[in-house]
Amino acid sequence: MSEFAEPIAKLIDEFKRLPGIGHKSAQRLAFHILRTTSEDVERLAAALRDVKERITFCSTCHNMTDVDPCRYCTNPNRDQKLLCVVEEAHNLLAVERTGEYRGLYHVLHGALSPMRGIGPDDLKIRSLLERLRTLEVEEIILATNPTTEGEATANYVGRLLKPLGIKVTRIAMGLPVGSDLEYADEVTMHKAMTYRHEI
Amino acid sequence: MNLALLEASGFRNLSGSLSGQPGLNFLWGQNGQGKTSWLEAIAILGSTKSFRTHHLSETVTFGGQAAHLTAEVHRRSRVEKLEIHLEGSQKHLFINSKRVSVGDFLGHLDSFLYSREEMAIVRGEPGERRRFMDRGVLSLKPGYVQILADYNRTLKQKNALLKTVGEDGTRPPQFNDLLDVWNVQMVEHGTAIHRARTEYVNQLNQVLDARLFGNETVTVRYQSSLEGRGDLANYAKLITERLQVRREAEIAAGHALIGPHRDDLEILADGKDVAKFGSSGQQRSALLVLELAQLNLYHRHFDEYPLFLLDDIDAELDRDRIRTLLDHLEGQVQVFVTTSKKTLAEEYTGRAALSQIVSGQALTAVLIEN
Repeated sequence: MSEFAEPIAKLIDEFKRLPGIGHKSAQRLAFHILRTTSEDVERLAAALRDVKERITFCSTCHNMTDVDPCRYCTNPNRDQKLLCVVEEAHNLLAVERTGEYRGLYHVLHGALSPMRGIGPDDLKIRSLLERLRTLEVEEIILATNPTTEGEATANYVGRLLKPLGIKVTRIAMGLPVGSDLEYADEVTMHKAMTYRHEI
Repeated sequence: MNLALLEASGFRNLSGSLSGQPGLNFLWGQNGQGKTSWLEAIAILGSTKSFRTHHLSETVTFGGQAAHLTAEVHRRSRVEKLEIHLEGSQKHLFINSKRVSVGDFLGHLDSFLYSREEMAIVRGEPGERRRFMDRGVLSLKPGYVQILADYNRTLKQKNALLKTVGEDGTRPPQFNDLLDVWNVQMVEHGTAIHRARTEYVNQLNQVLDARLFGNETVTVRYQSSLEGRGDLANYAKLITERLQVRREAEIAAGHALIGPHRDDLEILADGKDVAKFGSSGQQRSALLVLELAQLNLYHRHFDEYPLFLLDDIDAELDRDRIRTLLDHLEGQVQVFVTTSKKTLAEEYTGRAALSQIVSGQALTAVLIEN
């Protein structure tokens, strides 16, 4: 097979480095770029540059932000007595989309995983403890993922927080709303039964 | 459930179709003609997995592009068409020509296999017997797969943590808290595994035909690695205690010493360990008794029998045992038997459907004419 001209080959290689993009997709994207107008390409390039230059992590809660501290941390209407701990910034958005939660956040940037060499010092745990010295939080909600790593992280953070005398809760686990019991796997069903509540 | 028709194209050396009748089905042929491949095709249509390879792509005929397997399955009054299309690393699954997910595909053509490799359950390492128990639990409770996955993941993470301890015993910061955290999940998932296996082995004992093959009585016993260390009825408390007591030993060893990943299943003939004290015939009998018990348990649970696949039956069992076994199964379970012995197949003329396998093709009733 003959090779593409160098600039195209280079672009294909760059696309291939992105998650979820294989060789064929990379090729398709590269040829799409070739066909688009210069203005479109400029806009894409500017957007890429912008996101790197302007988006940083909040020095308080470690969420993605274009202002530091971020809008969640500085918004006076948010409940300063509630703090929700999540693994990643996109998890924060998932909680936020409910529109129900009006408290503060803390993004850990990962979960404990000895297999990948990720320990407590690689997560934003120390800064969480420091934040709690100044905040008057009454409840901390641990909303790490329901995976073994997420559970271990919640458990670990919970242990650290216990001596502080703050109420620590773990988000409930159970059935997805709007589905049928029939489709629930056993583990989920078991959790749903374990954490049932009185009505 | 009954397999009425199986069609194969592009799969190993098979071509054409194999028809099945309820009851006994003999596949007779010389070695290397494709008898086992037909059984493999049945197993793949049931489980989407092969008992010969972990890579389904290897089952595509050498030099070919894709393999396609189609089964017509009769379940009570219903007829279902199951299909698997293998191409590259992809597999596409269909029920009645509609594309479905793996989860929906499973359970429509379940089968249990008896083959030479299965003897490892009796003679091999404890891991073989743990897998036997886990497969058994899975056949009744598909959700168990998540419990196993969570436990194995936790075990790997814990082992990785234990390896961070230096040769001189120096521990990384917060090591003790981290070990506690992983141990919490060892307790949670380990207890679930212990409970599921205990229940399964109890049920197995209730349904096994202990004296099917002669005078000795076959029983099984789940042997927890925590046996003799306290009250197994309260496993969560026991494993929590043991994790505490053996904590330093686990750190020194650099891997997890406590948990159901160290358990075993005792297979006993007249109360004696058949792997150690049984003859090879007794070992085969014991394994068959267990496999049949799995069929019975399946039947008790789902009110229908899965298929039973017996690979190379005469290499594994003597004629008396074969007769006992097939008489026992006849009329209840659909059985596919492969053999290279023509005389054995001939013995069942009139009682069984006979197919001769030649170069991957199933030829019907050739034997009767000969």
